[in-house]
Amino acid sequence: MHRSDFCMVSAFRDWIMFRSVVLLRALLLLISCGMVLAFLARAFGLFKVFPYPFFGPPSLVNAIGGFLFGIGMVLAGGCVVGILYKLGAGSRVAGIGLLGLLVGSGLYAEIHPWWVQLAKKTSFSAGSVTLPQLLGWADWVVILPLVLLAGWFSREGLRKGEWRQRSPVDGYLQPWLAALVLAGIGLVSALVIGMPMGVTTSYAKVAAWFERLVWPQHVASLEFFNLPPHSFHIPLGEVQLAGSPGPAFDGIAAVQYPLIIGIVLGSALSAGLLREWRLKGKLPLRQAVFAGCGGVLMGLASRMTPGCNVWHLWGGVPILALQSLLFVVGLLPGTWVGCRLLEKLVFSRARGINQPHLEGLKP
Amino acid sequence: MNTTETIELDIRGQVCPSTLLTTLREVTRLQEEILSGSKQVLIRTDNRHATVTVPQALENMGLEVHITKEGGSYRILVCAEAEEGVPSHE
Repeated sequence: MHRSDFCMVSAFRDWIMFRSVVLLRALLLLISCGMVLAFLARAFGLFKVFPYPFFGPPSLVNAIGGFLFGIGMVLAGGCVVGILYKLGAGSRVAGIGLLGLLVGSGLYAEIHPWWVQLAKKTSFSAGSVTLPQLLGWADWVVILPLVLLAGWFSREGLRKGEWRQRSPVDGYLQPWLAALVLAGIGLVSALVIGMPMGVTTSYAKVAAWFERLVWPQHVASLEFFNLPPHSFHIPLGEVQLAGSPGPAFDGIAAVQYPLIIGIVLGSALSAGLLREWRLKGKLPLRQAVFAGCGGVLMGLASRMTPGCNVWHLWGGVPILALQSLLFVVGLLPGTWVGCRLLEKLVFSRARGINQPHLEGLKP
Repeated sequence: MNTTETIELDIRGQVCPSTLLTTLREVTRLQEEILSGSKQVLIRTDNRHATVTVPQALENMGLEVHITKEGGSYRILVCAEAEEGVPSHE
């Protein structure tokens, strides 16, 4: 992610603000490859539990959470995982976004009882978890047209010569190659831990841990931090784990903490090897404040949805999980609103920003 | 002998997409001076992605973009396109 700057916020934001599809094309490649890999893995009987654990019937809250998540990630300048690799490379603004994420994840505990009622009231689909289940069709009937569409889009990119990016940076990894590697890692995650990669429940756990240090009685009284552990099966080693959003080190922490630490350390190592690691430059106060606010919004939204862009885009959309599709339905307008807020609030004092020139990038 | 004034901006550590927005802002503001060769814009950034997006954004504007690494970050120099046989401003 560090070598190719594989930022999912950039994928959507650059498309909306600058009409650039460099990273969006790579992200669609990742999703469509993930779709084919998940389909084949299932066809060969490699998934013992399908759909993955923690996915359930969709609800309106999936889209509302996606909308708020879209606004938050643009203001923070990175998503829940993008912030980690940027932090690893020495970005202070990513650190501020991460603090915001922890605060937002903790704040969600205050509204959880009310929010979960809303989720139940707006749930639909009569128990179907994926789109093929809802339609009553075979998976391939839905997947094949989508993969063909992605293939056409990819071919258009080839025709325009837009797949291979010219970058003079050291150690540059082409985004299409990063997308293929990440799709492979997503499949490995599904095979090894039985579900897609995710990190945001851990942010709630860390928030609960810190909050317990200063306000233990309150943490003990919050329903969200005292939910009964959810049991799930880990194919690697055939073990049964359980975890909850509470502060204890449990199965979710065992699965997610290494991923978080690994991304930060991997990115730090990558930046160090390229001699690009250092705490960087001056950060304008306005950018710092809005990055923190974006982090808070993203942390709240990732529990409201529930899940994050990595969980849904790399894991849920490839299996056509209805929750993930609704997340995307909310994410796109949310990102658009985030871009407008970025222009009006964060860069409003930038002299002479000329809108027509913002569209100078070739489509 | 003509001299070229360099407008230097340090964007290191700022939130994305500050590098691209700042470059577009300055190039828009100083377009005539840059094209005439009297000014050039030098951006210091740590945003690796900007080394892809900035040249794309400025292509077909009669400008040259030179990107070099310096001390763990990158410098993006935007100047007038060099005429044939005439060295660029870098």
